[in-house]
Amino acid sequence: MGVFDGLLTGLQVAFSLQGILFVFIGVLLGTIIGMIPGLGPISAIAIMIPITYGMDPAIALLMMAGVYYGSMYGGSTSSILLNAPGVAGTVAASFDGYPMAQQGKAGKALAISAICSFIGGTVGVVLLMVFSPLLSKVAISFGPPEYFALMLLGLLAIASLSDGSVVKAFISATLGFIVVMIGIDAQTGTSRFTFGNINLLDGIDFLVIALGLFAIAEVAFLILFRKAGGLKDAKSIGTLKLTKDEAKEIAGPTTRQSFLGFFLGVLPGAGATISSFIAYITEKKLAKKPEDFGKGSLKGLAGPETANNAATTGAFVPLLSLGIPGSGTTAVMLGAFLVLGIQPGPLLVSEHPDVFWGVIASMYIGNIILLILNLPLIPYLARILLIPRPLLISLVLMFCFLGVYAVSFNIADLYLLLLFGILGYLMRIFAFPAAPFILAFILGGMMEQSLRQSLTISGGDLAIFYESPIALTIFIVSVLFLFVPVLKGIIKKGRNTTNLSA
Amino acid sequence: MKCTLMASICIAGFMLGACSSEAANSSSGEWEPAKTVELVAPSGAGGGWDTTARMVAKVIDEANLANKSFGVINKPGGGGAIGWADNYRRNDPHNIFVASPPLIFIHLNEQSKYGFKDFTPLANLIADYGAFAVRADAKWDNLQELFDDLKKDPTAATVIGTSTPGSMAHMQFVQFAMEAGVDVKNVRYITEQDGGAITSLLNGSVDVFSTSVSVAVDQARAGKIKILGVTSSDRLQGDFLSDIPTVKEQGYDAEFVNWRGVLGPPNMTDEQIHYYEKLFEKMLATEQFAEIQEQFGWNTMYLDSSEFTEFLEEQENDMDRLLKATGFKKE
Repeated sequence: MGVFDGLLTGLQVAFSLQGILFVFIGVLLGTIIGMIPGLGPISAIAIMIPITYGMDPAIALLMMAGVYYGSMYGGSTSSILLNAPGVAGTVAASFDGYPMAQQGKAGKALAISAICSFIGGTVGVVLLMVFSPLLSKVAISFGPPEYFALMLLGLLAIASLSDGSVVKAFISATLGFIVVMIGIDAQTGTSRFTFGNINLLDGIDFLVIALGLFAIAEVAFLILFRKAGGLKDAKSIGTLKLTKDEAKEIAGPTTRQSFLGFFLGVLPGAGATISSFIAYITEKKLAKKPEDFGKGSLKGLAGPETANNAATTGAFVPLLSLGIPGSGTTAVMLGAFLVLGIQPGPLLVSEHPDVFWGVIASMYIGNIILLILNLPLIPYLARILLIPRPLLISLVLMFCFLGVYAVSFNIADLYLLLLFGILGYLMRIFAFPAAPFILAFILGGMMEQSLRQSLTISGGDLAIFYESPIALTIFIVSVLFLFVPVLKGIIKKGRNTTNLSA
Repeated sequence: MKCTLMASICIAGFMLGACSSEAANSSSGEWEPAKTVELVAPSGAGGGWDTTARMVAKVIDEANLANKSFGVINKPGGGGAIGWADNYRRNDPHNIFVASPPLIFIHLNEQSKYGFKDFTPLANLIADYGAFAVRADAKWDNLQELFDDLKKDPTAATVIGTSTPGSMAHMQFVQFAMEAGVDVKNVRYITEQDGGAITSLLNGSVDVFSTSVSVAVDQARAGKIKILGVTSSDRLQGDFLSDIPTVKEQGYDAEFVNWRGVLGPPNMTDEQIHYYEKLFEKMLATEQFAEIQEQFGWNTMYLDSSEFTEFLEEQENDMDRLLKATGFKKE
């Protein structure tokens, strides 16, 4: 069966009344789950598994896929409005999204998020449909040394995530590295920095860090500086409409990051989070005015928002065509496939074309439904900001605690949340940026593991890093990332002096 | 399969009679739950324990096997340690949990204060087996060739698995490699927990994947990898599965079972134990559960409470010996 015939079969499944209905249910659930911190797509899909048992596999799976990419769509809402990222893939969206909302442009920020998500998702589906069989080779091309190189590239963002002092950014990142070391070390099985406390054996959850450092710290800051105007109610949410210039401004990042995000998503283990950070730094490097980033830049929001959705779609390549789950969520999806009697993997296209193509075709519809669903909701969602501040920040606090508790049902995590809230507040007072901390926390763990895996494989020989062409290429790109701006500066200086002397 | 395994376990002694109190509930001979039973998966959503718990609860509820409903609770943390500590502390017969070999490993590796002896084994339900896989174009066609190479040079092949050294995926490989005379302390083993293990195998970063049959079988069926051996004592059933040789028939006399059963809090009464044993036995006999098993590739391995206790004791002794021999645990 060719791609075209296959897609026709898929469209038949996806465009059936049942198909549309369940895609709708899936993406609606996904958006809602994404908006509430603490409820992630993993638990939603796991809970759905017994419910879908006995359903037509293609229909059940397109619903679950809808929950997955729908949650990435909705996840940025709390990042942008409340600085409370509930999913790791949406942390980067808060860097410029939250400042925009603060400036009274919440409507525009959410509109950009919805449009970029739509574009990233749709381009992703097209790429998934056309290249899926080819890309399965790309998906397995990364081993430990290549992942190490990729994480290193991602970590270069630290330097560009600092507004003021680069030294402070690195101190903040070092703290993030220390915190991610807590727990049982995967390569030796030894527990590190747990002080005999079983609550620390699994390490500290991402949500505790993200909500503590971002949301709780922000709330504390608003309360303590209420006299300076922190508690003034937001007056407007601004317009949703983008001007022609603004549309032009985000066109570049959206196009680039749809492709880059998708390809990073294809790599198992990389996924939405890394692609959103890499999107942020590449856009900052490419921007004519990088100094706007972090202060409400449209590009700084459009880049990561496009990338995380494209990456979510990309993650279906290894899942569908290799049977390899690239993330926790896709691992649970794999379980959902198995329950329904479908084994994803190299034989899926030929054995169950209706499922393979049905899921892909449904993503077109899902993305359109998400856009239609989200755009009209924006004014209502953004109105959250019009709630009187004292009430709003109490609500944010409540949701942070609820969200963290819902992940582990463990009181100890609530104390940790408070602790990181205090740390985040102190960091703000002393002008230490929180973003490098969370970046080091997310990427540092994977970077350490892949470094040690590589060195175990090679028996301690560092040659493993430059003998791999892919890793070597990424290292070279990293070096260019670091030195091109410096060189540019030197050249510019040189030119200025020649101009002067002329 | 299940027959031989059960036969291989000696006729059970009544260990449990000794540790469960006889005084409680002596008025009526029967016990039934008085409220909803919490079936705990000591892990997050998704994954083996969670899936087992959800499927068991679903079948019990749908087939109306119990007077009260069964609800699944996730209690993640510490690889299970938090859920176990919670169960021990609450000590409520309506609070039971799903377990598998990590219950033994994590306790032996001293990451949990509680081991199976602190709980009441109720019944074992199902089993999966280990598998050792290599790339389809690897030079090894059977385990003997692989082990011979490793005997000459323990660094000749790198092994990957999803659990930490000293835990399940590592120890199942070590167990057989040691039997073959390989210097296991110097075998390179890396952990990959994010589903990247099979990727690293396919792209040639590592050579051997120590995993479970259900994970490896589809890639093998698609011709991407070869399964050199499965750790069951007899060949598994199924059109593709029955062609895979066991490790035992290749001359290494050992087996490794990834058992999955249910345990309850300490000091349960005989009546309570009896109630759950019978309930799980009935659940395993349902058609719904048989269908689920077929889909996940789970083999039936029913053991009643006393058989299960005896089995766990044997497992713990074997693994303790293995961990000491490999230097993961001090003598």
